[in-house]
Amino acid sequence: MDILNVDNVTKNYARHCALDAISLSVPEGSVYGLLGPNGAGKTTLIRIINHITAPDSGMVTFDGHPLTQADVAHIGYLPEERGLYKKMKVGDQAIFFARLKGMSSREARTELRAWFEKFGILDWWDKKVEELSKGMAQKVQFIVTVLHRPKLLIFDEPFSGFDPINAALLRDEILELKRQGSTVIFSTHNMASVEEICDNITLINQGRNILTGNVAELRERFSKGKYQITFTGPTQTLIDALQPVTESYSLSDAGSGAVTIDINAAPDATVRQILQTANDTVDILSFQKGRASMNDIFIQTIGKS
Amino acid sequence: MLSKTGLIIRREYLERVTKKSFLITTLLMPVVMLALMFTPVLINEFSESEQRTILIVDATGEVEPEMHSVPSITFLPVADEAEGRRILDTESAQGVLLIPDNIFENGANVQLISSEPASINVESAITSQLNSIIEHKRMAQYGIEGLDSIMAAVESDVTLRTLEYNPEGDDKESSTLVAYALGMVLTMLLYMCLLLYGQMVMTSIIEEKTNRVLEIVVSSVKPRQLMIGKICGIGLVAVTQLLIWTVLIAGASSLILPNLISPETAAQVEALNANALATSDATANIGMLQAISMLGNVGYILQLFALLLLFLVGGFMLYAAVYAAIGSAVDNIQDAGQLQTVVIVPIICGIIFGVQAASDPSSTMSFWTSLIPFTSPMVMMARIPFGVPAWEIALSLVVLYLSFFAMVWLAAKIYRVGIFMYGKKPSLKEMIRWIRYN
Repeated sequence: MDILNVDNVTKNYARHCALDAISLSVPEGSVYGLLGPNGAGKTTLIRIINHITAPDSGMVTFDGHPLTQADVAHIGYLPEERGLYKKMKVGDQAIFFARLKGMSSREARTELRAWFEKFGILDWWDKKVEELSKGMAQKVQFIVTVLHRPKLLIFDEPFSGFDPINAALLRDEILELKRQGSTVIFSTHNMASVEEICDNITLINQGRNILTGNVAELRERFSKGKYQITFTGPTQTLIDALQPVTESYSLSDAGSGAVTIDINAAPDATVRQILQTANDTVDILSFQKGRASMNDIFIQTIGKS
Repeated sequence: MLSKTGLIIRREYLERVTKKSFLITTLLMPVVMLALMFTPVLINEFSESEQRTILIVDATGEVEPEMHSVPSITFLPVADEAEGRRILDTESAQGVLLIPDNIFENGANVQLISSEPASINVESAITSQLNSIIEHKRMAQYGIEGLDSIMAAVESDVTLRTLEYNPEGDDKESSTLVAYALGMVLTMLLYMCLLLYGQMVMTSIIEEKTNRVLEIVVSSVKPRQLMIGKICGIGLVAVTQLLIWTVLIAGASSLILPNLISPETAAQVEALNANALATSDATANIGMLQAISMLGNVGYILQLFALLLLFLVGGFMLYAAVYAAIGSAVDNIQDAGQLQTVVIVPIICGIIFGVQAASDPSSTMSFWTSLIPFTSPMVMMARIPFGVPAWEIALSLVVLYLSFFAMVWLAAKIYRVGIFMYGKKPSLKEMIRWIRYN
C-alpha cells in the first residue's frame, strides 16, 4: 500500500520548468529518500505534497484519495531553512503549531511535556526562542514537526546543524517513528545517511525522475563488475596486466605496504580472468566484490543525465 | 475550537498586546497628540517672552509720549540718532526707531535700525501703535468735540456664534473652531494609526519570510488564511488601542471635566445647550463654552469614536492589504522602500485632503475625496465634526468596505506567490502579473 502517489506532476514557473512530469510512489511505513542536486526541484515537489503550491498538471494521491487541504493535518514537515517566532516562548509556540495541525490545546500540552522530557529540555518551556542556540531551536522544531503523529513525515536536510551526538539521537527518533508506522520522506545531500536509513530512493535532476528504486537493489545493480583487490607487490605491473579486462580503476593505501585497487571490469571479463591475472603478478591478500556507495550512484547517474 | 485563521489572529494579537511597548504607546500617544497641538502655542509664548528695548528718536515730539511699552517691548526716548547708535553699541538696546517730523502727513519714512534680525512681533507692535497714534492725530484735526468718548463707544470686537440650520426650528449651536480642531485631531489620529499599523503588517510579513518560520506555518494553513489572520490580528490591536482611548476620553469627559469648571461656567454651558444664553452676556467666552459643551457630552464623544472605529477598520484593512502584498514580495525592509510609495502617496493625499476638508467641509473636493476609498477615512473624519448627512457617511463606508474586500482578495493572490520568491526584488508590474498565477 502506498501512502503517497505522485503521478505525472508538472510545475512551471515564469522562466523555467521546476518539475517535468514527475511520478513516484512512497510505500507506507518506509523511509523514502528524495535525492538530487541543488535546484533539481525537490523543494517544489515537497511544497506540492504539503499542499502549499498547486501543480500545473498531474495528480497527488494521499492515503488513497486525492490530496486535499485537510490532509496536511496528517503531514509533518521540517523545512531545510528552519525558523521559529523569535519573540515567542518555546512552549507557547509549540502549542500554537500543534493546534494549527488540529490538536487540542490540552492534548498538545501533554504530548509536548513527554517529548520535552525525552529530549531533556523541559526547562526551556518558558524561554524565548531567541535565547536558544541554533541546535536547541532545531530540537524544538523537530518536536513540533512530529508532535501530531503525522502519517507522513517530510524531513529536508534534518541533520544539518546538529552535532554528531544529537544527529544520532535524531536518527534513532526517525527510525523509531518508522517502527511505529510513520512514513518518512527524507531529502538530503548526505549519502551516508541515505544508505543508513532509507529503504527506497528517487533521484531527481532538472525536474525529472532519473532513478527510482530500493536502496539495496540499486547498490547491488550498480555493484555489477566492481571488484576490490588488496595486495602486495608491483602496483604498476598489476595495472598493466589488468588493462585488457578493466574499464577503470582507483587505488588506495591499505597500510603495512599493502595496496587496494578498486576496478570496474570490462563487460565481457570474468571473475576467473581477473583473479588469474592478478594472481600471476602480485600477492593477493584479499579479493572481493566491490560495493557501490550511494555517493557513487549519485555522481554516476547525475553525470550521465 | 478555534479555526486556523482564528489561531493566527490570536497569536498575532497576543504577541503585540502583551508587549510593554503597547501599553506605553497607548498611554503616551494622547500625551504626544496634546503636545503636538499645544506646541505652536508654546513656541509663541516663548518667542514673545524675550525683552527688547527700542529707542525712539522723535522729530515731532508728539509721538513718543503716546507710545506705550508692551510686555515684550520697552520704548525709551533718546535725543538723536547718534546717541541711539552709541547705545546700540553697548547692547543695552536692540533698535532705534526714527520718526520723521512729517510723519502725520506721510507715514512711509519711519525707520527702524535694528541690531538683530527684525522680528515680525516687534514690527507689528510698532506699526500698529504708530498707526493708531497717527489716525488719532488726523481725526483730532477735524476738531470733533468729545472725540475720545466717541471713539471708545465706536470700538467693536465681534464674536460670531454659528447656529446650524434645522428645518424643524430650534437651530443647533455649532462651533466652527471646535469642529475644526476636532476634525484635525481625528484625521491625524487616523493617519498615524493607518501608517503605524499598516507598516506593522508589512514588517511582520517580511520578518516571517526572512526567518523562514513562514515555511512551517504555510505547511499547516493556506497562505491566504495566514495573511488574513495576520491583518485581522494586527487590526484588532489597533481597535483595542482605540477602545482604550475612547474609555479614557469618555471617562475624562464625564468624571474629570465637570470638576474642573466653575459652577458659573457650568451654568453658562447649560444655558448654551438649551439655546438660552443671553446674547448680551459679556463675560461668556463662547468658543470655550462650546468646547466644554462638546467635550462634556459623553454621548457625542462615543458616537464620534464609533464612527472613527468604523473608518479605522475599513481604512486599515484596505491599506494593510496593500502593505501585505508589498511585504510578501521583498526580502527586507530596504527593498520595500520604493514599492511603499504605492501606499504612502494615497495616505499622504488623505491627510492633505483631510486638512483641506477641516477648513472647508462642504466643498465638492471634500465631498468626493470623502467617498474615494483611499482618502475617505481621513477626509470623512475631518468632516464629521461639522455634521455630515448620514447617507454620505453610509455611502462612504459601503464603498470603503467593498474596496477593502476587493483589495484583500487581490493582495492574497500576490501574497501567495510573493512569499516564496527569494532573492530578487520584483517590480510592481511583475507583482500584478502574479495575480493571474494558479
